[in-house]
Amino acid sequence: MAEFEPKIVAFVCNWCSYAGADKAGGQKLAYAAQVKLVRVMCSGRVDPLFVMDAFRQGADGVMVLGCHPGDCHYRAGNKKAQQRFRILSRMLPQFGIESDRFRLDWVAAGEAERFQTIANEMTDRVRALGPLRIRGYVAKEVA
Amino acid sequence: MTVKPKVAFYWCASCGGCEETVVDLGARVLDVVAAVDIVFWPCALDFKTADLAALADGAISVAFVNGAVRTSEQAHMAELLRRKAACVIAFGACACHGGIPALANLTSRERILQRSYHASPTVDNPAGTEPRESTTIDGHRLNLPAFADTVHKLSDVIAVDYSMPGCPPTPDNLWQAVNLILTGKLPPRGAVLGSVKSLCSSCPRNDSRPDDPTIPKIRRLIDVVVDPATCLLAQGLVCMGPATRDGCGARCIEGNMPCTGCYGPAADVQDQGARMVSALGTILQNDAGDQGTAALDDPAGTFYRYTMAASLLGAERKDV
Amino acid sequence: MGRPRTAVFLCNCGPNIAGAIDLDIIAGQLASRQDVAVVERHALLCSPDGQQFFRDTLQNRQVDNVVVVACSPKMHEKTFQDLAGEAGINIGHVQMANVREHCAWVTPDKATATAKAQLLINAAIRRSLISENLEQRSMEVNTDVLVIGGGLAGIEAALTAAAAGRKVTIVDREISLGGAVIKTEEVAPSLECAPCLLAPRLAAVRDNSNITVLTRAEVTEVRGFYGNFTVRVRRQARAIEPSCIGCEACFEVCPVTVPSRFHLGLGTHKAVYTLFPGSVPAAAAIDKSACRHFTDGTCNACVEACPFGAVNFDQPDDESEFAVGAIVVATGFSSWDPRSISALGYGTVPDVYTLPEFERLASSNGPTHSEIRLRDGRAPRSVAVVHCAGSLRPDAIPYCSRVCCLGALKVGELVRKQIPGATVTNIHHDLVLTTPREQAFYRRQAHEGTRFLACTDLAAVQVRTGDHGIRVEGPGFEPVEVDMVVLATGLQPAAGTRELAGLLNVELDADGFLKPDHAVLHCTGASLDGIYVAGCAAGPCDLPTAVTQGQAAVGDAISKLMPGRRINLEMMTSVIDADLCAGCRLCKAACPYKAVSFDRERKVCVVNEAICRGCGTCSAACPTGASKARHFTDAQIHAEIGGLLHG
Repeated sequence: MAEFEPKIVAFVCNWCSYAGADKAGGQKLAYAAQVKLVRVMCSGRVDPLFVMDAFRQGADGVMVLGCHPGDCHYRAGNKKAQQRFRILSRMLPQFGIESDRFRLDWVAAGEAERFQTIANEMTDRVRALGPLRIRGYVAKEVA
Repeated sequence: MTVKPKVAFYWCASCGGCEETVVDLGARVLDVVAAVDIVFWPCALDFKTADLAALADGAISVAFVNGAVRTSEQAHMAELLRRKAACVIAFGACACHGGIPALANLTSRERILQRSYHASPTVDNPAGTEPRESTTIDGHRLNLPAFADTVHKLSDVIAVDYSMPGCPPTPDNLWQAVNLILTGKLPPRGAVLGSVKSLCSSCPRNDSRPDDPTIPKIRRLIDVVVDPATCLLAQGLVCMGPATRDGCGARCIEGNMPCTGCYGPAADVQDQGARMVSALGTILQNDAGDQGTAALDDPAGTFYRYTMAASLLGAERKDV
Repeated sequence: MGRPRTAVFLCNCGPNIAGAIDLDIIAGQLASRQDVAVVERHALLCSPDGQQFFRDTLQNRQVDNVVVVACSPKMHEKTFQDLAGEAGINIGHVQMANVREHCAWVTPDKATATAKAQLLINAAIRRSLISENLEQRSMEVNTDVLVIGGGLAGIEAALTAAAAGRKVTIVDREISLGGAVIKTEEVAPSLECAPCLLAPRLAAVRDNSNITVLTRAEVTEVRGFYGNFTVRVRRQARAIEPSCIGCEACFEVCPVTVPSRFHLGLGTHKAVYTLFPGSVPAAAAIDKSACRHFTDGTCNACVEACPFGAVNFDQPDDESEFAVGAIVVATGFSSWDPRSISALGYGTVPDVYTLPEFERLASSNGPTHSEIRLRDGRAPRSVAVVHCAGSLRPDAIPYCSRVCCLGALKVGELVRKQIPGATVTNIHHDLVLTTPREQAFYRRQAHEGTRFLACTDLAAVQVRTGDHGIRVEGPGFEPVEVDMVVLATGLQPAAGTRELAGLLNVELDADGFLKPDHAVLHCTGASLDGIYVAGCAAGPCDLPTAVTQGQAAVGDAISKLMPGRRINLEMMTSVIDADLCAGCRLCKAACPYKAVSFDRERKVCVVNEAICRGCGTCSAACPTGASKARHFTDAQIHAEIGGLLHG
């Protein structure tokens, strides 16, 4: 049997983390292809609903990446995100979703290597955990 | 004489509170009885399943079904009622969203049995007996309904025409629904019979919410003297009102208690708990760090108290 | 209406994409998709030829949505949006799948890259199927400018705007303009006379009909947004009418003497006063807390003395409201007060001064009329200058103010010019001299006699009364005893900066100065559109920088606010569905720009789309789904997530 390859969705803010991923591309810093990005303007746009939705739609791991605290393009959207995900992180294990399957972190536009490191670390961690099974929903795709 | 519409009431996994709503109609219940023909209501009147099965398919005008669905019997009755009724209304929080019984989706069938028949300190079961679906005693076979892994909301099991959330729905909600039925003014099928907005829209404390509702930390009810006039959320309490459908008449708020969310999500909202997490995170000050959420002992149980079976992550039991 | 028709363009990007991803496989799969109407491939879609091809294809093929499979949207989203717009497709229906930066360049294995690209493209297609129009809205603007602070940066900002024909209002707390610079005698390293430098600029302000000067005035309220601010300014009565020319006749008869703030407490003025002769405005003002007419009603001397009948005790305080399009904050700085560090001897050892105080002593409009004197009236024979007083230490000013070194070097110049034979010793650690001219100035001072003592730890310097004068000692140098000590104190945010930032809804940096919108690319923009910052309000800076920033801030502001031209608003704003909004106002709490307001009558929240910058934080905060982030709706993100996870 082939090794389990996790599916990882990362919500990234347009100004810092998406740009950091772009820079990783520009520098040809290879990272785990399992990580796929959803661009939002600000990490403050990332509703916990999106994270749950990603898990339910089959993601094995989810990340939210924003500007470093104090550097938010929109002043403090990342701080709102941090508070929301503080609460969500307390709750995910109750649903049987291990803490390591979710990560909130900061990647600046210039931090290509940091983006690469985070993407690879996350992939390794989730690979070690194995597939996330929320029974009944993994196979079923929601419209 | 015109034929009165036939009405059925049934309960699946529920506490009986929804049945109370019918009784709590008070004197109005006489008007209901005069206007409709109650053909099935096991909680209050002596009907048998066979009576229901004997009716022609579609003979019942409206079936009010409350309670969540976990056992094979509940599923069977739901299916039977669906066949016999032209219109099924999911009545109350459990039927609409799983309600309190669906909190069991946070644990497993095995753990429930282990706790209930072995581990609980009040259990005395030296033989280690567990319920079985089929037992033979003295040559007689006894059957129990199958106990499923997952607690479902009614619409997971059968097609539901209308939903009336609430734990329980108020007598006024029921009265309005009955009138809609009798006057033939029901909205298009699939609708929730209720408001589209959230509770804040009718909350008597809406005006008291400060311009900056930021809170330093989440507080538990037992740790505060609740100001009876100020927005409960602004006092740091988890008031689910912003994320909860209006329609209850803000009775808990009037009683100086925060909303616990029994009317489920507002219209167009997929997941009540996710919305509340986001809303709460928005007003929680950042600098308190993890201390701000320390009082939140059971987030899933807090944010999904009535909607686990309708949630993104808790609708299906994941074996752990 | 049928299903939306989607066109997918695959860009080879030369070998960049085509070499790493098997676009043949991708194109084959796309061709078999029901939801894709057109699949086209091009060698380099952003080239002139590619752009032409893109536009022509869209025009000829009747599509509703476009997915461009190419590079980062940060690179070319606008290019393809504009081209689609030319082809009659609303830009909201243009999606990019970034398979270059996020796939081709970071996924060495071609099969893996191809599989990943399929998912990225799938997500973009699914998202495009529910894309919505984005409307370009625009707004009429007010082109007038408010300048807060009438120092050098503010004056230059005002003159620049006025020269472009804009109406400008300068608001200053003092009774006349000039800020910090007017209090110094000479500016280093050019040693030009500061009042002479400023005088023609002040006159130009006075004589410019486009400029209104409001002194003894403060901004009390700011409403609105870029291009449409309404500001409220409160002015304290000066009790002197503008007909006053500053002849000073009243000064002689005024019986009350008060310590002068302008002289930093080193001198006095009368209860009726000007800061210096020739100030702008020229009119005197009355200090109501000292004037006997106001304190006990016993004096009318100035009324009788005034040849112009300008004294008017009944002049009321005044509050006015007016509209501007942009606001320049040029509120300068305050000098650090060394009293909090007792080892520096300030306030306890008589002849220890701060650098600004020394500047006043040396200044022709100062308390001693430019004679450098000790408190007992003697000329100092020896002066020590302590660099970095209070700077670079966490208990006072944690940063370097970068202009004090130059000021500290000037002490020697001024002392030697006046007092032949006097010695000047600068006790320093680093010397921050950032231009060749400043460095040459240093060399000249060293050559002309300033003694430089390098201290290894300026935080450990002690200043106290010694046997033969003031003793200055510290690690790394032999103690000195001198007649006068000057502390080169650093620059702090001006008093009231935090309150002003609150009024303007702009951010401060960690040190309390106004935070720039971007430290490099938009350093004269504050963190809110339409608010600019110049000079030391943005952090310590030298005079040329203050001037440049004043001019640059206004140049930036007026280049966008052109008379008769509307400004475009952000397209990806949030909008609130009043039918769903319950008036919980959590969106209002989420908005960093105060773009959301609560309509008390309808009990719903409303987004002012002229202010909204489109971050979408309010949409995530909304517990009822009433707030929608345009172009990043829940449904669109949901579709994208699904697309990434299911091929």
